[in-house]
Order: sequence, then structure tokens, then C-alpha cells
Amino acid sequence: MAQMPQGKPLPAITDLTRPFWTAAKAGKLVMQKCGRCGTLDFLPKPWCIECGHLGLDWVEVKPQGTVYSHSTAYTVMMNDPAWKSDLPVVMCIIELDDGPRMYGQLTDCPPEKVRIGMRVQAHFEPISDAAAVPKFRPI
Amino acid sequence: MTNSLRGEVAIVGYGRTPYSRAKPGERILTVDQYIAGAAALALEKAGMSKRDFDGQGLGVSHAEASHTVNWSAAVAELLGISPRALIRGDQGGASASAMLIRAAAMIHAGIIDRALVVGADTPLSIPSIAPGLPLSPERTRGIFWEFQGPFGVMGANNQFGLVQTRYAHQYPMKREHLGKIAVTTRYHASLNPGAIYREPFTLEAYMNSRILSDPVRLLDCVPMVNGGLAYIVASAETAKTITDKPAYLLGCGEVSNYYSGSRTRPDITVTGFVQAAPEAFRMAGVQHHDIDVFEPYDDYPMIVLMQMEDYGFCKKGEGGKFVAERDLTFKGDFPISTDGGQLSGGQPGGAIGGFMPIVEAAAQLRGEAGPRQVKDASIAAVSGFGGIPYARNARSCITLILGSEK
Ligand SMILES: [Zn+2]
Repeated sequence: MAQMPQGKPLPAITDLTRPFWTAAKAGKLVMQKCGRCGTLDFLPKPWCIECGHLGLDWVEVKPQGTVYSHSTAYTVMMNDPAWKSDLPVVMCIIELDDGPRMYGQLTDCPPEKVRIGMRVQAHFEPISDAAAVPKFRPI
Repeated sequence: MTNSLRGEVAIVGYGRTPYSRAKPGERILTVDQYIAGAAALALEKAGMSKRDFDGQGLGVSHAEASHTVNWSAAVAELLGISPRALIRGDQGGASASAMLIRAAAMIHAGIIDRALVVGADTPLSIPSIAPGLPLSPERTRGIFWEFQGPFGVMGANNQFGLVQTRYAHQYPMKREHLGKIAVTTRYHASLNPGAIYREPFTLEAYMNSRILSDPVRLLDCVPMVNGGLAYIVASAETAKTITDKPAYLLGCGEVSNYYSGSRTRPDITVTGFVQAAPEAFRMAGVQHHDIDVFEPYDDYPMIVLMQMEDYGFCKKGEGGKFVAERDLTFKGDFPISTDGGQLSGGQPGGAIGGFMPIVEAAAQLRGEAGPRQVKDASIAAVSGFGGIPYARNARSCITLILGSEK
């Protein structure tokens, strides 16, 4: 597994996932949309989880959503120790306005302020020459 | 689903090795030593020999320590058994119960008459998920890691924390309710010499334990151990010749990758047990009030409470009230996790903990649970729970109904 100098994990980018990382690096959120039934879904899948269609197109989605749930980590568990300097990490499940849900770290918000239903906006933290990770902050 | 597996097979032996936290100075056993140790206990209990499984079934759970492309066959070699059918558990904490169903189906089909089913792992001695060790290679590759590790998701504490926050948002539950579950498991562990943490704690100690991933605290979390478990399942006919105390499989239900609602926006407070449990109750022909002891999959109290609801012991959202009103101890009106569960007993790796509810249910039904024996226990409900899907709650949900009478 490739490592950043600070040690946080980097994705091993595949041809399947490259569009996501490349777009994130350019400050855009993209997800797969089924060419047959139109289902938008995340994380990247080999076919449409609704209808089984193999033809999935990467489309840009609106970078806004709401907090569906949250859990603030005060310890690093099942992740790289390099995350320690970022603690506490306010982790959320974000429900995007366009449909899908995704894990996303909430920044610029103290843990005691995070609420279900809170409106959030994506921003993108570069983690390598090829990738950035979407994070969210309150609108 | 038909009633075809009801009373077809029975558990006739079981074993659980002493667990280890692999402290300095302790003798460190390998995963195959734990497997052999657990199998030896199960064979002794059944009065059988490993030779009884040549030409029969051998079930082997995945282990992070294994890292071979044919682990179940490798275990056959290490044990010197020549089985006709290998059954491989590949459903995390649902592996043990999944293998019981697969073995029962193979016995029903006449492929085999009996199976030895084993599982062990040594998460404290290998790269796995235990704190202080690097993550295992299998946990740091693949799409789920790519979209969780770099995003800062902190494992099961974090993922179940997200489920718990959402649950508490939708339903009236207090942390005290989860605390009662945790306190009860520790009380039961104090009665089980095989449990790894045996010192009882108070509700207050639970409430004030260290926050790991809010709202999940230290005493909400399953501790990792090295260890192994095994059980022996045989056709009902053979079972009667082996023991006068068979624990019959009366019902089973199973679903993997259940969605409550839409696939993209499911309700993550509902697990696949809403499908698996009714299936198992129907096959067994039993009602909720027939259950003498409930052995849930109990790595986090929140998961236990959701099982109570999704099994239908109470209505959705009333799990907190249900827990508050019931006595969950082995002497009570709704005994759960009578061995101390995984919460206080320890979890031998993410794929093996699912053996514990089966082994404890068999002990209870055979009247072999010693100081924690539920009086006249004759029907038990048992859960297997495996894996956490992306931004949801449970990959595999299995319910077994076991009984001392066909
Ligand atoms: Zn589709």
C-alpha cells in the first residue's frame, strides 16, 4: 500500500475508481449513474445495484447534502496511526441531495455542534498528485 | 422456504479453548493449534475420534491468520482428516451459523452424515485489527478500504457509532439501556471461567467509561483475544447414538446484504434479522415466548438491542423499554449472552466470535452451563452476524433455533 509522507493511507487507484479520485482532485464530486435505470450509487460498483446493468457513467453530483448520522472518533481504530494528529475526527454518513450516501469527515465543526439533518457542503483535501478526499463542512 | 431442515441434525459436541490476550510471557499458540485444541474438546465431549470425520464433513471458518487460497483443505491436512466435503465459512461473525446450515443441508441431501466445524484466529499475534499491530493486508486492500481508510473511518467502533447515533435519533433509547446489556454480559462472564474479563462493573462505570467513538465507549466494545471454538453436527439418527443430549437444529433463517427500504437510502436502524428471524421461528414452529435463552451476536450492546427488536421480541423502537423491563440475567425472564458474550468473553477475531452463541446455546440446552445455567432451558435462539456494509449495519444475518427435543 502506498503511503503519504505523513503516513495516512492512500487509495490504490484502479481504472474503476480513477474517475472519482481525478474529479476530487479537480474539486468535483462524481458518482456512477446507471445508463439504463438512472440509479446513482456510491461507492464504485461493477454494475448497477438496482438493475444489474454494466453500463455505468460517471456524472457530477451536487456537492451538498445533509448529515444522516455522525460519530466522533477520539481514538484511531482500524486505520493508520497517522490519523492521530487529526483527532477528534467527526465522521458522518452524508446523504447527498442527489441521492447516494457516503462516509465523510466533517471539518470546521466542533464535535458537540454536529447534528443529524445539518446542511453540509463538500470540500476536497488533496492527498497525492492523483487524488483528493472529499470532506464536508457546515453550510 | 420449506420445513425440510427441522429436526434433521443436532449438535452433539462443542469446545472452546481458553482465550488469550497474548500478554508478554504467555505461550503464544498458532491458529492451527487453537483449531486442534477446540476440535479435541468437541470430540471429547461427543466421545468421538477425528477418524470419524474421514469421508464426512469438515467446516472451517476463514481466519485472518490463514492467508492461503485453500485454507479449509490446508486445515484438513494439518489435522490429518480426509473429509468428503469441505465447508468454508466466509461470512465473518455469521460464519459459524452459516456452516451449521450448510452442513445440515448436506446431511439432509445425504452427502455426509456428520461434520466437524472449527474456527480460530489469533488477532493479537498477527497483523489484524488489534490496537498496536499493523492492519492485516486483507483489510487494507480492495474497494471498501479505498473508500474508508483514506476517508478516516475508524473501524467498527466508528461504523456502529454511526448506527447508534441514527438509532437514538429515531427512537427513544437511553444509554442506560445499552449499559444494562453490557453490565449483564459482565455479570455472566463473572460466572464463566472461560471469559477473558470477569470483574463485574456497575452501570455508573459503564456510563463513565472512556469515549472511543462517540457515542461508543470502551465498555461498549468487544475485546480481541486469541482463541478457537468447534462444534460437531450429526444427522438426528446418528446423534441419538452419540449422546442422550442432542441439541437439535429446529429452525434457521438467513439473509445477506439486506436493505430496509431503497438500496441507496436504506434505514440503517433495521437489520436483516427482520427477515432471518421470522423464517427461523416459522421453520421451528415456535413463538417468541417459547424461547428460554437468547444468545445474540453481542460485540456491541447496540447490535444486541437491534436484534431484540428485529427478532420481534418487542416492537421496533421499543428495545430500550424492553431492556429496562426485563431481567436479562440467566435467572431472569429474558436471559441473554449467558456466557458473558463476546463483550466480556472476548472475540477471537472478526470471523470466529459467531461460534460463541452456538457453543453456549448447546451448553445451555444440554444443562452443562454450570453456575450460569438457565433452569430447564429447552429452546434457544442464536444469532450469527457478519460484516458491516458500507454506511449500513450488517452484511450477513442468521438466526438459528436450537432445541433439546425434536
Ligand atoms: Zn440500473
